[in-house]
Amino acid sequence: MKNEHTWRYTMLGVLFGLIGFMIIVQVFRLPYTPQAEAIVNEGKLYERTWHIYYPPRGQIYDRWGSLLAGNTLVYEVGVQVGALQNAETVAFALARVLSTHPEYNYADFYTDLLDVMEAAEESGRAYTQLADFVTPEELAQLKQWAESYDDLPAVPYGDTKQPSLVGLVYRPRLKRVYPEEALAANILGFVNRDGDGLFGVEQQFNNLLAGTPTGVWMTLDPYRVDEIPEMEEGSDLVLTIDREIQAAVEHVLDNALETSGAEGGTILVMDPNTGEILAMASWPRMDPNVYWDYAKFFPENQPYNRAVSTEYEPGSVFKVLTMAAALDSGAVTPDTVFTDTGMFQIGGIYIYNWNYGAWGPQDMGGCMQHSLNVCLAWVASQMGATNFYEYMQAFGIGHRTGIDLAAEAYGRLKLPGDSDWYEADLGTNSFGQGVAVTPVQMLAAISALANEGEMVMPHVVRSIVRDGYQYNPAPQVVGMPISAETARILSEMLADSLEEEASDALIEGYRVAGKTGTAEIPGPFGYESDLTNASFVGWGPVEDPQFLVYVWLEKPTSSPWGSVVAAPVFRQVVEQLVVLMDLPPDAVRAMMGSE
Amino acid sequence: MDNVQRMTQAYSQAPWRKQVQIIGIFLLALVTTAIVAGIYLNITARTTTMGREIQEMQILVYGYHSLFTTPQSGNMPVEELRQDIANLQAQLAYLTSYEVMDARARSLGFRPTEPDEMVYLEIEGYVAPQPVTLAPPPSPVVVSAAGVSDEFNEPLFSWLADQIEQTARLFGEVKP
Repeated sequence: MKNEHTWRYTMLGVLFGLIGFMIIVQVFRLPYTPQAEAIVNEGKLYERTWHIYYPPRGQIYDRWGSLLAGNTLVYEVGVQVGALQNAETVAFALARVLSTHPEYNYADFYTDLLDVMEAAEESGRAYTQLADFVTPEELAQLKQWAESYDDLPAVPYGDTKQPSLVGLVYRPRLKRVYPEEALAANILGFVNRDGDGLFGVEQQFNNLLAGTPTGVWMTLDPYRVDEIPEMEEGSDLVLTIDREIQAAVEHVLDNALETSGAEGGTILVMDPNTGEILAMASWPRMDPNVYWDYAKFFPENQPYNRAVSTEYEPGSVFKVLTMAAALDSGAVTPDTVFTDTGMFQIGGIYIYNWNYGAWGPQDMGGCMQHSLNVCLAWVASQMGATNFYEYMQAFGIGHRTGIDLAAEAYGRLKLPGDSDWYEADLGTNSFGQGVAVTPVQMLAAISALANEGEMVMPHVVRSIVRDGYQYNPAPQVVGMPISAETARILSEMLADSLEEEASDALIEGYRVAGKTGTAEIPGPFGYESDLTNASFVGWGPVEDPQFLVYVWLEKPTSSPWGSVVAAPVFRQVVEQLVVLMDLPPDAVRAMMGSE
Repeated sequence: MDNVQRMTQAYSQAPWRKQVQIIGIFLLALVTTAIVAGIYLNITARTTTMGREIQEMQILVYGYHSLFTTPQSGNMPVEELRQDIANLQAQLAYLTSYEVMDARARSLGFRPTEPDEMVYLEIEGYVAPQPVTLAPPPSPVVVSAAGVSDEFNEPLFSWLADQIEQTARLFGEVKP
């Protein structure tokens, strides 16, 4: 009995053994077959996903923490081609919803969308983008459309498939936004569609603000979650700009342009002790939220910010630098008397006064008060060309100030030895002709007078916030072209001048120093136009300057004279400044100081 | 006689007893393996779930939202939360922009002050407002030696001796 069944058990054992053996063989063989390799390769496609991480662009604040440039949500809309049910419906809905979108409000958008989806389907792509910078409101409309289509009854639609937005997807992203709209637009610049900063702070600090948009393969393996990389975010900037002062100054500038008929202009307000720009108004000015209107506001590549990018002949405000250099070098003293005969010959040309008059004996204060070209040309000749130009270079004329704004122009100061320099240039340069400067260059140079002889670097960035820390770069003194004593003497001289001529720049209760400028505009064939550039530079309170203001109006038509159109603008600015900066009148400060 | 019978019975029962023993050992190994495998699977599943949740909290893994779902802030990935915060800050800035605040102030009957309307008072100890500070300044992190606990400084034997001494003192202080 026992022997009878043995062979059966043996056969069964062999059979199961064989099956087991075959299973083991297959276990080791299958992973190395071509099919297995293909499956593994296909699996690898799903083990990670390509993810582009756009770190939020750093925000820009004014000195008190008001947001000047931030970020807002917009959406990228596209289709997942495999899930798409009805391309015509998707194109129709998008074309209708985006009919007022500045980028997609053109007639052929519908057909373009169909072409894009067809091309994606033919090329076998999984996803294709249809629109970008879609606003939250537009996305909400799309969602409503999607729900409406979803509620349609499932009846036969014949050749036209059932309307549906299935397959249409979206992804949020950030877009630059300027909550203050046109306020300080010339300082900020803007960010274009590609995310690049253009002009102003946005361009100058683009790398710092933008962070680093990074495309990375994000693993989908939950065990390797720690491999998701940390992304570098954009830094925030705190500007030196005071929003309230900026708004006030822009308001004054806009009014001044309207009343004077000037084409453009700029007003700069700086703390002469630190170089911090408190306000920088410039016209033309546009809302950077609608940056695509750039060409309308700035045709023919006009400078975006006249304060840093416009080169022009400064005219009589330049006399301040000439007189400062002459006093500091000892070529003249405040009491030196010059007898003005109405003309002065230098380098083979004659220099005349603005009214072609002869003003007789004048001390240096009189020369500045009456803005006498003849006197200043004589003063420069007393200094000598070498001395004069050394001082002008020390004042930074012909060099960039280094302000932290994009597109700063150099200006031009011809020097002895240059092929186009003539001796006559010494005479004309002394009163601001034949020399090209930018408003911010003049501001930096004249800061030496308002800051005990020390010239400060103008700057608009006060702090940089990065990796959780706030860095406050120290103000920079870039030179001391004149002594503190010279600065004080000239400030007094100019303050007296304003008071004696009862200038429109005077402010009740506050002693200020300043100088008007009226510059003819050179053309290809000399000074042919009747139009001028009018300017005024002033600072105060003279005893302890807290502000330095430069006003420059381009081609005013109501009057060509700086004393008529620019000086009152200075006064209007200072009237606002003393309130916004909490500056008590001189008498009050003196009383407080004596207590 | 009884012993003979008992031995005979034990001998006759030995084969299946042995089988039961083998089966028992096998089942024990099987159950142990199943328990270990079960625990392993449980831990693995939880780890996987947590890993996936962490991924989804960091980024929107598959990149896109459907029009038919509305993401809730409770399950937004960090990347989108940051976008949301930035968006809210911008909205707040719009609501407090100069133009809006100026219009609101004027609608409430306020107007800009003229210089001659200002009244200045000298206040002892008044500190003028300082420009905004959004983050602390960078400063080197100095670990003060005094701030490190003694346990990290003293040798093990010294610490042990100290503990024994303290314990002895504790018992010494116990009053009957």
